[in-house]
Amino acid sequence: MYDWSFNVVWEFRMIYLHGALITVGLSLYSLVFSMALGLFVGIARQSKHKALSYPASWYVEVLRDTPLLVQIVWIFYCFPILTAYVTPGDEGIKLTAFWSCVLAISIQMSAYVAEIFRAGIVSIGKGQVDAAKVLGMSYAHVMRRIVLPQAFRRMLPPLVNNFADILKLTSLASVIGVYELLHSVDNVIMNNFRPLEMYTVLALVYFVLIFPVAFGARRAEVYFARRL
Amino acid sequence: MAAGESVVRVEDLRKQFGTLEVLRGVHLNVARGEVLCIIGPSGSGKSTLLRCIAYLEEDFGGRIYLEGDLLGRVERNGRMERVKGAALRRVQSKVGMVFQQFNLWPHRSALGNIIESLVIVKKLPRLEAEKIADELLAKVGLSDKREEFPSRLSGGQQQRVAIARALAMRPQIMLFDEVTSALDPELVNEVLHVMKQLAEEGMTMLVVTHEMGFASKVADRVVFMDEGVIVEEGPPEKVLKSPSERRTREFLSLVAHEEF
Repeated sequence: MYDWSFNVVWEFRMIYLHGALITVGLSLYSLVFSMALGLFVGIARQSKHKALSYPASWYVEVLRDTPLLVQIVWIFYCFPILTAYVTPGDEGIKLTAFWSCVLAISIQMSAYVAEIFRAGIVSIGKGQVDAAKVLGMSYAHVMRRIVLPQAFRRMLPPLVNNFADILKLTSLASVIGVYELLHSVDNVIMNNFRPLEMYTVLALVYFVLIFPVAFGARRAEVYFARRL
Repeated sequence: MAAGESVVRVEDLRKQFGTLEVLRGVHLNVARGEVLCIIGPSGSGKSTLLRCIAYLEEDFGGRIYLEGDLLGRVERNGRMERVKGAALRRVQSKVGMVFQQFNLWPHRSALGNIIESLVIVKKLPRLEAEKIADELLAKVGLSDKREEFPSRLSGGQQQRVAIARALAMRPQIMLFDEVTSALDPELVNEVLHVMKQLAEEGMTMLVVTHEMGFASKVADRVVFMDEGVIVEEGPPEKVLKSPSERRTREFLSLVAHEEF
């Protein structure tokens, strides 16, 4: 019979805390950048100019059809070497493991965010846009005052869900050595040989981080379903 | 301004959707203060004609003049070029439009729907915009619904708010695109009443409608369209009661159950 000892976990509580902070940091940066990028791509996909909508569609397609893990290692290992060709000197753009991961997750998730934005925007009836145009509103006004405020209410639940996904996906950063939760805990296990306790508590910590977000997404869904 | 001055002049208007020719050379002139009703079977191009005049369809052949100004185009060295931005909006702003599906913005109250363009496009101070909106709400009989959101209004009330919203920009011509077709029968009259009142005040109106009673009582002139062209036009008693074209007679025999 295995001799469970959760005392070792308590001993390394600061490791969990620090790992959790890195996980949350990775997630928040990725959230902000993926939203900004996704909004841009989503609007580009809606554009009637093919020079904008085609690249945007391919961007979304390529990113959705490649694994995030591959994107992370590609950005970490290949990106600096490739950029060395185009930047002065032979250094290339070298990102730290942390920022490589933020970049990879932001880019990957921006494809999903773009789809959420697009779905939100097309859900607003074209007639509302027609009415605004005849009243003399510019495209920017129509988007800002009419379409986006309504689309945002529909987009909020899936966007919050997306954030829950990001929190989970940051565990992939362990592969390139970012000391987020998983990697930090792995590191401890190599010294104390207590994987059962350490991993069990690791799962719990993730749950504690993600549950409120997922719960919030569901509440938002119910709230906005009632109002619209 | 001289009476009989042209507010809208349409010359050889053509519009295609893909290979489908929806408008095949429409000529039309609407004088100031005139109420013109357009009737015709569905698919005859009536709504597309209005959408071109409102510049919701930008890709058309021919010319549309609003108070003598060319809409959405400029002529340079004998060639027509598109205009955009402020130059377009200055001409486009002469038009107000009301739609079949009301198209109110559900996230704005009745008041909010009306003041939006006043504040955003005309850049009026909010209080001034609200004053204008209150006058218009009174005019369409909805002062008590000022703060209500569209989802809490009946179809007829929504459409009256939509009329007030279009009037707020002080258009030179109002386009009505089958504005009673989506309404329950008992709500039709409250909207027609507002339109009749507008006509009496001298508003220039271009009305696509299936309400033959309205056309016969309010219109100065009735236009019958079929297959993308104007087949017949004239005073309502002529076009509606003794049309000279076979197609007009056929259409009227299909729609006219009522006495007008």
